[in-house]
Amino acid sequence: MGTVFSFDVRGGDPAAVRTALADAVAALHRADEVFSTYRDDSQITRLARGELTVGQCDPEVAEVLELAAEAERVSDGWFSTSYAGRLDPTGIVKGWAAERAARRLAAAGAGGVSVNGGGDVQLLGAPGPHRPWRIGVSDPLRPGRLAAVISAAGTEELAVATSGTAERGTHIVDPRTGRSAVTDLLAVTVVAPRLTWADCWATAAFAMGSRQALAWLEHLPDVEALLITAGDEVRCTGGLAARLG
Amino acid sequence: MQAPKGGRSDQVTADAVPRLDQEAVAAGSAEIDAVSGATYTSAGYRQSLQSALDRAGG
Repeated sequence: MGTVFSFDVRGGDPAAVRTALADAVAALHRADEVFSTYRDDSQITRLARGELTVGQCDPEVAEVLELAAEAERVSDGWFSTSYAGRLDPTGIVKGWAAERAARRLAAAGAGGVSVNGGGDVQLLGAPGPHRPWRIGVSDPLRPGRLAAVISAAGTEELAVATSGTAERGTHIVDPRTGRSAVTDLLAVTVVAPRLTWADCWATAAFAMGSRQALAWLEHLPDVEALLITAGDEVRCTGGLAARLG
Repeated sequence: MQAPKGGRSDQVTADAVPRLDQEAVAAGSAEIDAVSGATYTSAGYRQSLQSALDRAGG
C-alpha cells in the first residue's frame, strides 16, 4: 500500500498485546499482498484479469468486495471500485485493514487502541481512565498545523478519515467521468464509528464537492464531517461541534 | 438530521470557524494522540506530525 501504519496501544496483558500486535502487522502485510493493484501476482490483479474467481481467493476478498459494493450503493456511485474499467478496491482496503487491526488488539484485551493507516485513524476504548483519544486534523493549507482537534470522549469506537489533495496531488477520481474529481474541496474529514465507512465516505464526499457533500453527509446516521474548501473556508455538519476537542 | 439551508447547520458552521482558527494556533500544545490527513506516502510520513508523535512516544 506504500503507506505507514502507526499503533498506539494501552493496557492489557503485555504478552497477549505483543502477540496480537505481531498478528495485526502480519495481517496488514498479507492484505497488501492480496489486494495490491501494483503487484502483478496479487489475488486482486489476477481476479481483475479473470485468472481467479472470487471463490478461489482468500475469504477476505469476498468480504471487502461486499463492503465496497455497499459503499458504492450508499454513496450513489460516488465511491467506486472500478478504475479505468478495472476492478480496484484500493479505496476501501486501507480503512478496512486498519479497523481490523485495531479490533484484533482490543479483542486481545487492550483498553485503548489507536491505529493510524496513512492518515486515517481507528480509535477503540480510551488511552487512560480520565482521558479520551484526541486526534488532530491536518490543515491542508498550513503544513504542520491542525485545522481542528476531534475528541473521542464518550465513545467506545470512533474513526477519523481524511481525503484530499494535500500530499499526493489530485488522486481521487470522479467515477462518472473517470477523470480526476473536479471539486472545490481541499480536504474532507469524516468522523464515524467505523473506519471502513469513514474512509469511503470521505473519498465519496471529496469527489462530490462541498455543497452536495455536506447535504449527503448530514443525512448519514452517526456521521459528522469537516470540509475545507480551496477558498480556505471550513464547513461542518451540524453535530461536529460536539466532537471538537 | 438533514438541516434546511440557512438552518442549524449554517449556524453551527458560523460558530465553529473561530474555534477551528484557535486550534490552528494551539497546534503545538493540543495534546493529540494521532493526526488525520490526506493520504500520506512513506516519504511524506517522515515529515508528518504523526511521525513526530511516534518519535515522541518512543
